[in-house]
Amino acid sequence: MIQIEKRLREEAKRLLETKEAAVVLAFGRGFDEEHPMPLILRKPSDAEKIVFNEYCTFNMARHLTEFPPGTKIAVAVKAADSRAVTVLIQEGKVKREDLIILGIPVAGMKDFRSGTAIDATTTGPAVNPVLYDILLADLLPEPKDVSPYDVLAEIEAMSPDDRWGFWSAEFSRCIRCYACRKACPLCYCETCFVDQAKPRWSEKSPSASSNMMFHLTRFYHLAGRCIDCGSCSRACPMDIPLYLFHKKVSKECEEMFDQAAGMCVDAKPVMVDFKVEDSDDILL
Amino acid sequence: MENPYIPMPVTVDKIFIEVDTKEIKTFRLAFVNKTDEERFNYRPGQFAELSIYGKGESPIGIASSPTDKGYVEFTVQKAGIVTSELHDLEEGAQIGLRGPLGNSWPLEFLEGKNIVIVGGGFAFTTLRSLANFMLNDEQRSRFGKIVMIYGARTPGLLCYKPELKAWEDRSDMETFVTVDKGDNNWKGREGFVPTVCKQVAPSSENAVAVICGPPVMIRFTLPVFFELGFSKENILTSLEMKMKCGFGKCGRCNVGHKYVCKDGPVFSLAELENLSREY
Amino acid sequence: MITKIGREKLQEFVAGLMKSGRLFAPVKEGKGTNFKLITDPQSVTLDFYNTIQSPKAVLFPQSEDLVNYNISHDGIASEPAPIDDGSRIILGVRPCDVQSFEIMDRLFNGSGIVDPYWSARRSNLTIIAYAFDRADPVDFYNAFGITGSDEQGSDILMVRDTNSFLFKAFTDKGTKLLETMPFLEKGTADDEKRMTEIVDKGRDIATRTLDTAEIHKRLAGIFDSPYWEEAAAACLNCGVCTYVCPTCHCFDIQDETLFGEGSRRKIWDSCMFSDFTLHASGHNPRTKKSQRLRQRINHKFSYYVENFGIISCVGCGRCTRSCPVNIDILTVVEEAR
Ligand SMILES: Cc1cc2nc3c(=O)[nH]c(=O)nc-3n(C[C@H](O)[C@H](O)[C@H](O)COP(=O)(O)OP(=O)(O)OC[C@H]3O[C@@H](n4cnc5c(N)ncnc54)[C@H](O)[C@@H]3O)c2cc1C
Ligand code: SF4
Ligand code: SF4
Ligand code: SF4
Ligand code: SF4
Ligand code: FES
Repeated sequence: MIQIEKRLREEAKRLLETKEAAVVLAFGRGFDEEHPMPLILRKPSDAEKIVFNEYCTFNMARHLTEFPPGTKIAVAVKAADSRAVTVLIQEGKVKREDLIILGIPVAGMKDFRSGTAIDATTTGPAVNPVLYDILLADLLPEPKDVSPYDVLAEIEAMSPDDRWGFWSAEFSRCIRCYACRKACPLCYCETCFVDQAKPRWSEKSPSASSNMMFHLTRFYHLAGRCIDCGSCSRACPMDIPLYLFHKKVSKECEEMFDQAAGMCVDAKPVMVDFKVEDSDDILL
Repeated sequence: MENPYIPMPVTVDKIFIEVDTKEIKTFRLAFVNKTDEERFNYRPGQFAELSIYGKGESPIGIASSPTDKGYVEFTVQKAGIVTSELHDLEEGAQIGLRGPLGNSWPLEFLEGKNIVIVGGGFAFTTLRSLANFMLNDEQRSRFGKIVMIYGARTPGLLCYKPELKAWEDRSDMETFVTVDKGDNNWKGREGFVPTVCKQVAPSSENAVAVICGPPVMIRFTLPVFFELGFSKENILTSLEMKMKCGFGKCGRCNVGHKYVCKDGPVFSLAELENLSREY
Repeated sequence: MITKIGREKLQEFVAGLMKSGRLFAPVKEGKGTNFKLITDPQSVTLDFYNTIQSPKAVLFPQSEDLVNYNISHDGIASEPAPIDDGSRIILGVRPCDVQSFEIMDRLFNGSGIVDPYWSARRSNLTIIAYAFDRADPVDFYNAFGITGSDEQGSDILMVRDTNSFLFKAFTDKGTKLLETMPFLEKGTADDEKRMTEIVDKGRDIATRTLDTAEIHKRLAGIFDSPYWEEAAAACLNCGVCTYVCPTCHCFDIQDETLFGEGSRRKIWDSCMFSDFTLHASGHNPRTKKSQRLRQRINHKFSYYVENFGIISCVGCGRCTRSCPVNIDILTVVEEAR
């Protein structure tokens, strides 16, 4: 990881010096080693501030849509992050030619809040980026025989009533802080449906029904688009396992369309239009 | 204990359509309960929350004068949910009212001074309240000369037309009504409010200017008044910030450490100068 | 006088408290704990560092009905929702959080028009504080003169000994409450000594700290600094930091209606949300995240000081601990120069 940090600093410095990039999205020091922060650099001299360690879990694709169109951005991406970049390109939110993608093959990341390993239960199992211009380390062997959907076995085995009970209990704890939505690289809507006042789609008070409404709608907005980075679940202060639901939807989409989101920039994205009626078998 | 979040019931007695686009209406409200009416002691410049259950509440400046007895008036521009619903109401409807809220035009400070009132568009409501208050027979002698400059984009967008006429006819005040662009029937003045202020050139001698209007109007009017020698202490305005509670608890309407709902909405330029420019 | 109870009898104690008023106490939730209304004594845990959310919701729930109404063809019928002001007990409040109640009092109870909801509940509240026995690296309550075992503001201070919990009452309310618990043992001279030792140890817990002198003026001086862009660069504008904070008091008022039945509700809101200050006209005085982060910091460390003479932060560290991008309020304030 030290090597990646060194390479990231070098590349950031070079790209900003040569003005190939106006902005570099990377990782920097937080209040201590175990708590890094997203870092947005504009000056070559700031490249020294770059940090890379196992706690740099942020999906920097999240910040791509913050810049005016046409800004040349270099973005450091890990495996899942690169899939988010791919979806953003596919959806026209960023232009491929405006990006310099710094690919980071890496395994063994850890959640800075709990210190636990981030593995295929909460994100995709892949360790190599799918899209990059510059590779900051050698590609790693991809883990074999691990599916991102293994973790679903337990919930799939539940009876519909139990499953409903499970989700109701989980969502009832939601405090509607919207960290999940805000941490998501693909929740870029200018005005999210929950914030819309005219008409008001969703109540602002957290309640079993309004929380369910918020989450179901968000899940379906992300159907076929979620790239399983796990950012939403890590952002959630209440530890609600949102990844389980996203994975379930992704699995259905993959089975239906034989294609996972954000794997190939030239593929036509599966803009599936789920109807709430279709959702029963996922929720129940 | 009175619960400050609970509105009092009021009925919509009369609705006046102020402008040709029908986007601005004045609502004359009457209290359902006598005790509420007695308790609703307000001063020009204050506002109240108008409430429609199911839609919400909106802070609206009080457009009538405390010297008008038996009712309170609010002039409302159709904007979002609550104001649109208000516009759909018919006479006789019952709504809610919470207030009075906020500080007010500083009547004691204005006393004995010449007053220059400058208004633009529908941001004239609490200035109308102030004008009608000062012009009241019992109050008129407390104040010096009154100069009023009021403008709108078009003649059809001028509010309180019958009153404007009456004010123009009064000998104890000078009234200048202007429109940015007249039409075939318009025989009055044409020109932007700042330009008219320059032409009228009210004296700053023992005078206070009270200015309300759209931000552009304010931006171009202020230099005119500085030029005329008005100090920042003697220029007053009313701020608008998004509000909910209206009495300093919900944390939404602050400009720096001042809460517009409770420390305002009326501020002098001198006070605003000390606050962060975030409004 | 000191009283005590063996750890194994905690449930009995909890059940006793439940008889004296509605009890709020820490309960395991997800990977953390939160204050919940207790219906089952077994659910309470005192093995926690601090809760994810602050105890403020006990007096100031995230959503609360102000008025209930019914809209039909005949018109609108409405009725103020009764203020639920019955007596409340909170068990296990950390000393820094205890101070947050006094900070909130100045706003809701002690100035201008009083908030009847906060006020009614506050006077009916009994706080059982719970001394810290260690420090988390992000806490900084020492900065505000608060120590890990302060009793100030609480009715009873509770400390944890190896096999028991020790209690000392500091108010009449606290004394009376402890008297209603017949199964509490009277502390021995040894227990007195232990309590003193534990409290002294708590006083010595060193958290991070901050020079708070003239802080409000310093912040006022750098309002227009580009610093805020830098400080907020990583911020996601979620509401976590404000929703977990014991001293954040902002709320919205919304009418929520379903098939004609509805309520006007007071609902937590956050200055970190982009629509917080959005006018109906589309104008928004705070469009940038740097402006919103600046508002949060200034409100706590500058405006509140101007208005109420106290910093609106108790250094509980929650906002930092729960921030998805590790924005640390202490660092932000320290570096704001
Ligand atoms: C002190 C003061 C006096 C005002 N006086 C008048 C007046 O005399 N006439 C008039 O037409 N308008 C006035 N306004 C503006 C008026 O309050 C808003 O246009 C109105 O609240 C919009 O509400 P809405 O429900 O239609 O819009 P929405 O967009 O649906 O607004 C939702 C809610 O947000 C709040 N809100 C939104 N915009 C504003 C805003 N600009 N100011 C305050 N709160 C807002 C309100 O609580 C409103 O109910 C005044 C505002 C303030 C602060
Ligand atoms: S981050 Fe968690 S608590 Fe916050 S809105 Fe999302 S699910 Fe709810
Ligand atoms: S929790 Fe962190 S990311 Fe979210 S609004 Fe607060 S400072 Fe910003
Ligand atoms: S601002 Fe942060 S540290 Fe301060 S009281 Fe709130 S949550 Fe605790
Ligand atoms: S303004 Fe922001 S920081 Fe201050 S209380 Fe409200 S939400 Fe908290
Ligand atoms: S409107 Fe609530 S504090 Fe001003």
